[in-house]
Amino acid sequence: MKRDRDRDKAESSSMAATAAEKGKMWTAEQADVGGMDELLAVLGYKVKASDMLEVAQKLEQLEMVMEDDGISHLSSDTVHYNPSDLSGWVQSMLSELNGTGFDVGPAESTIIDDSLLVPSDNNSSIVSSSIDFTPSQSQQSQIYEDNSEYDLSAIPGGAICKQNESSAENGNKRRKTIGNRSGEAASAEVCGGPTAARPVVLVDSQETGVRLVHTLMACAEAVQQGNIKLADALVKHIGLLAVSQAGAMRKVATYFAEALARRIYKIYPQESNDTSYSDLLEMHFYETCPYLKFAHFTANQAILEAFAGATRVHVIDFSLKQGMQWPALMQALALRPGGPPALRLTGIGPPQPDNTDALQQVGWKLAQLAEAIGVEFEFRGFVANSLADLDAAILDIRPSAAEAVAVNSVFELHRLLARPCAIDKVLASIKAMRPKIVTVVEQEANHNGSGLVERFNEALHYYSTMFDSLESSGLTQVSNQDLVMSEVYLGRQICNVVACEGTDRVERHETLSQWRTRMGSAGFDPAHLGSNAFKQASMLLALFAGGDGYRVEENDGCLMLGWHTRPLIATSAWQLTATAS
Amino acid sequence: MVQLLEIGLANVELNLVSDKEKRLKFCINDHMDILIEILQRLDGRSLGSAACVCRLWQHITQSDMLWEHLCFHHVSPRLPSGVRPVVAALGGYRRLYMLCLRPVLSRLGLARQLSGGGGHQEVVRRVWTRHLVELSLSLFCVDYYERLGSGGGGGGRVGDASASSLMFLCKPVNV
Repeated sequence: MKRDRDRDKAESSSMAATAAEKGKMWTAEQADVGGMDELLAVLGYKVKASDMLEVAQKLEQLEMVMEDDGISHLSSDTVHYNPSDLSGWVQSMLSELNGTGFDVGPAESTIIDDSLLVPSDNNSSIVSSSIDFTPSQSQQSQIYEDNSEYDLSAIPGGAICKQNESSAENGNKRRKTIGNRSGEAASAEVCGGPTAARPVVLVDSQETGVRLVHTLMACAEAVQQGNIKLADALVKHIGLLAVSQAGAMRKVATYFAEALARRIYKIYPQESNDTSYSDLLEMHFYETCPYLKFAHFTANQAILEAFAGATRVHVIDFSLKQGMQWPALMQALALRPGGPPALRLTGIGPPQPDNTDALQQVGWKLAQLAEAIGVEFEFRGFVANSLADLDAAILDIRPSAAEAVAVNSVFELHRLLARPCAIDKVLASIKAMRPKIVTVVEQEANHNGSGLVERFNEALHYYSTMFDSLESSGLTQVSNQDLVMSEVYLGRQICNVVACEGTDRVERHETLSQWRTRMGSAGFDPAHLGSNAFKQASMLLALFAGGDGYRVEENDGCLMLGWHTRPLIATSAWQLTATAS
Repeated sequence: MVQLLEIGLANVELNLVSDKEKRLKFCINDHMDILIEILQRLDGRSLGSAACVCRLWQHITQSDMLWEHLCFHHVSPRLPSGVRPVVAALGGYRRLYMLCLRPVLSRLGLARQLSGGGGHQEVVRRVWTRHLVELSLSLFCVDYYERLGSGGGGGGRVGDASASSLMFLCKPVNV
């Protein structure tokens, strides 16, 4: 790929290796854009290929000076009239640095950047506003036409990383001086320090990767504070930083940046009624990585064990989708000692926009399979917008002496948390069904916090791990298209977690311990998944190429599948409390 | 001593000649039961080669009984009798072996372990083998279901790789 080639060249040329964030992308490559380096042209800089060495050296000098003296005001106070002329403004900054001294005036609050290319007579006075930036001021009215090149220069390299260190004088928020020079448009960047530094597992440990994560977190914080201008600038910066990364980190950053951008510009993703597309994405996700297979196999094992000895069984599936879970269960029931029971399956799904009966089609396929393997089978489909719309009476539950009931929910219960009381209603109706076993598979993460920043950080950690696992399993097995579709599938979840609020935000994942509390207080006792499930899951994972990265853990009767040290999904099984029968 | 040897050699020659005459009249294809006994002891790849020898051999090796033996003869306790019709309905033992068992066994590195060994290891291997059988059958069933969806289950065509949920088994792995 082009990026690898670039990296090789970058290493061999090595000159720009330590320069600013863009450094790693620079090469001594021939350019097509009129003698200009084409990679930098993409970023908006016009640098002659022949000047590259010189520019890189200057940037190195500049960075060293800035870091040494701790003066980053230079980046904010200097006027850049032609930011795309990289060589020019670097030179001007260097000469300014060497020529004049610098003064640290009284600490004042700052303005967010740009309005840079305005001719000098327009800005006779520098306005200093409070941190709560009000866009009503006339000078800042131009801000919405800013250009991204200047944004880049407005965030000096050391600023974000130095946040945590230079807290002594500045507290949590950075303040910069604004010199009152005539004819200059001052601009400065406020970077809200990232909140309580959460340890984030990084795929790429290069400096740019760290900066990228910090920028992401700073942007989320800015959005939470309502600091839209800053968030806007940071989001663009993330886009540029993300390009310099490779692999999983870049994809994760891109999805998160998109979600943040949607939130900032208030272009919320519409909850589409077209489930066929999301089903398609989920099928690719099913094929690419073992998470769904693990979920299905472990849940099936629990159901199978609960059904031991029953001659008639009824399974209620809260999320039928394509019914991929049930062939394996039917086969296991067909081969169990003593012969198969009569199986009834009730599938619940969302309404289809084009009135096709997707549930019936799935039921028909399952019936064909059942006939082939000799299992007495009956199927009913229920269309419901939300699980809370159903109750036990509709589902035709037969008395438990005659029929054993199992309720299965794979990645469905968390959606109910978007509406108040929906989850309690559903759990109560599950109890009314008097099931022998309830299997619940959920993502192992807390993406339901009320604050955006904590949710964002959690989600960043979680999805980075997910994408990492996709990346390493995708290389040797599945086609690129499958991988991309799986990533889109996860990207939609990311978008929902970050950009949506209220009832639109349905991806309200909660951790296993939270679900335990919830189920326990609703009147369910945990049923331990046995070692059979564990062994089968381990064997399944060993079949996947990234097999040594996946880990199955047993957590007090529940099974968790994770990537290296981070558990990602958890299967748990529940039964009614003994006294409730 | 040399004379004894000469007499011995002469006897052997005589025997050889008569054996040769006998052997000329012996054709393995006339003795199907022996042939089947031999083929039963081959591994999958050899069975595949055997299928290319002649039409008779091809016909024999296509019989599912051979493949059933290959798949499950080492599994103990014996699988319930209900397995055979189920597997037959899902596509046959040959397809089961080619699509599921062979890749699963090779991925898990158990192919060699299953032949030989004893004692405690034997027990452990049997337990694992049961899980392996269950897993393979489940995956096989999922494959059948997917083929249903794509419009008609193909009979016993092993080359049909349209079912995508088992693609993770089909593609080569960087070991």
